[in-house]
Amino acid sequence: MFTPPLDALLVLMIATPAVGWIAYKKGYRKVQGVYASACLVVVAYLLYGLYKEVALNGVILIVGQPPFNPPLGACLEIDMLSVFMAFLYVIIGLFTTAYSIKFMERDSGLTQYYTLMLGLVAGMTGVVFAGDFFTLFVFWELMCLTSYALVAFRKQRWEPIEAGFKYLVMSAAGSATILLSMSFLYGMTGTLNFAALADSLTNAASEGWLYITLALVIVGFGIKAAIVPFHTWLPDAHSAAPSPISAMLSGVMVQTAACALVRILLLVFGSAQPAWQMTLAVFAVFTMFGGNLMALLQNDLKRLLAFSTIANMGYVLFGFATVSHYGLTASFFHIMNHAIMKTLLFLCAGAFIRKTKTRDLRKLRGIGKVMPLTGAFFTVGTIAIAAFPPLNGFWSEMMIIAAGVRAEMIVFSTLTLANMALSVVYYFRLIRIIMLEKPTKVSKRATKAPVSLLIPMLVLAFLCIFIGVYPGPFIGVSSKAAEAMLNIEAYIDAVLRGL
Amino acid sequence: MIPLNYYIACAVALYLIGMYCLASKRNMIKLVIGLEILINAAHLSFIAFSAYRSVGFIDPLGHSIVIMSIGFAGCVTALALTLIIYAYKHYKTLDVRKLRRLRW
Repeated sequence: MFTPPLDALLVLMIATPAVGWIAYKKGYRKVQGVYASACLVVVAYLLYGLYKEVALNGVILIVGQPPFNPPLGACLEIDMLSVFMAFLYVIIGLFTTAYSIKFMERDSGLTQYYTLMLGLVAGMTGVVFAGDFFTLFVFWELMCLTSYALVAFRKQRWEPIEAGFKYLVMSAAGSATILLSMSFLYGMTGTLNFAALADSLTNAASEGWLYITLALVIVGFGIKAAIVPFHTWLPDAHSAAPSPISAMLSGVMVQTAACALVRILLLVFGSAQPAWQMTLAVFAVFTMFGGNLMALLQNDLKRLLAFSTIANMGYVLFGFATVSHYGLTASFFHIMNHAIMKTLLFLCAGAFIRKTKTRDLRKLRGIGKVMPLTGAFFTVGTIAIAAFPPLNGFWSEMMIIAAGVRAEMIVFSTLTLANMALSVVYYFRLIRIIMLEKPTKVSKRATKAPVSLLIPMLVLAFLCIFIGVYPGPFIGVSSKAAEAMLNIEAYIDAVLRGL
Repeated sequence: MIPLNYYIACAVALYLIGMYCLASKRNMIKLVIGLEILINAAHLSFIAFSAYRSVGFIDPLGHSIVIMSIGFAGCVTALALTLIIYAYKHYKTLDVRKLRRLRW
């Protein structure tokens, strides 16, 4: 119905409780985690099939009920961008799920945990597959609901509950804003299909309403994408959630919102491009400064990483704001690199926290000497995200700056470069605290991380180095995604062909 | 027949009331009510637009999205109330300002 990978995700997600029940009856504790990881492997295989089909046809259109063809009915439109992002979700989901098997073993409610985890992956995949606002909203809400529940998963403690409630209130207000903007678009044109909207919005809309709707769209998606005035939920939610969930949220979910926002801006609001391009660039700079300056002040490991996510969102948005093929390539490449690096860092942080029961950097001093392998992987991730040459972060961040220069946004490029220099300060502070200082009493109590936690980190650290040494094919894939996003005519054609 | 503009003005007013409620209220239950007002503003706008698309015909697209969205709003509210119950067990209060150990 919704293409094989998404169908498989939804069906396997609903089947998780049955697996959990059998595991409970038989007394096995780890079956659900293994099941969820196996599911994601299957989904990755199905996604590869879809990729081949997309590579052959360009854009695929999936229609639900034949008499209600788009633009009347709901549809999915899948192009290279959707497949690229979906691959990222499934791969990062696979690593975090495999990590969770050991990490979450002492928690109760594991069946719900893995159901929600698969639901989160399904929701994000649906958001990038959607061909109209209706489908997008349904999957958007699936993504939001599962992430609220996952942030507040350890409900016995005060922090996840409080952070979860704050996140829920802000994010639900954002969803309502998106819904209101959808209703205005619907009122102006009578359709919610992206392609049909792109076609008819330019003639139908009065200038005033168009800009009001544009503002509502940017605010609504911006709350989820952690653009700076709307970012306040992110540091709390990311530091209160269990570490694999933090990795999922900051590695891919925030980027999903940015991706959906830019797709909508490019497709639907193409006529107002000068207005939103400048807005996006200004917001991007605010986001970088907000994230980097706040990260300098943090003494909480996961909170620091969360603020660094906000800063990296700024870089990605700046790449998008150039609206050139090169800039979009840089942004997608950075989304991929950031997902890998940030997942690695959060997984390492999770291993530290699991042993020491604290996130305070003052107590975690010198823990890298007690847990050498985890410390080494953490250092690789930190150097990569600080954009040092042999690793992957360097290429994408340099590409973003170069894209700004090419698009004649020199001032913004300079500010981005200044921000990257600023961020090196706190990344090096992290390395110094974790690796070089004398172990404190708390960190001396830690023992080496178990192998099942180390394997996902090892693979991610290897990917960091591999992409850094050999970036060609990965830039090629990002370039294809950028091409698909900019090729608006093919996207509109797919709907017209379907009629 | 009441002109469409009145409905839209009402929806925008509801949206602003909801935002005001979220910004100013201290009771957690009232925050959830504020969320509901926000979502219902969007619903009203959808229903009004679908009824006024053409004379004598109501567009089903607006209605179907509102029905779906009512379901989601129910889920969000249920989840929010669950969190409120846990927060109440921890803090013995529903006042948001009392549970600001995190900076809001």
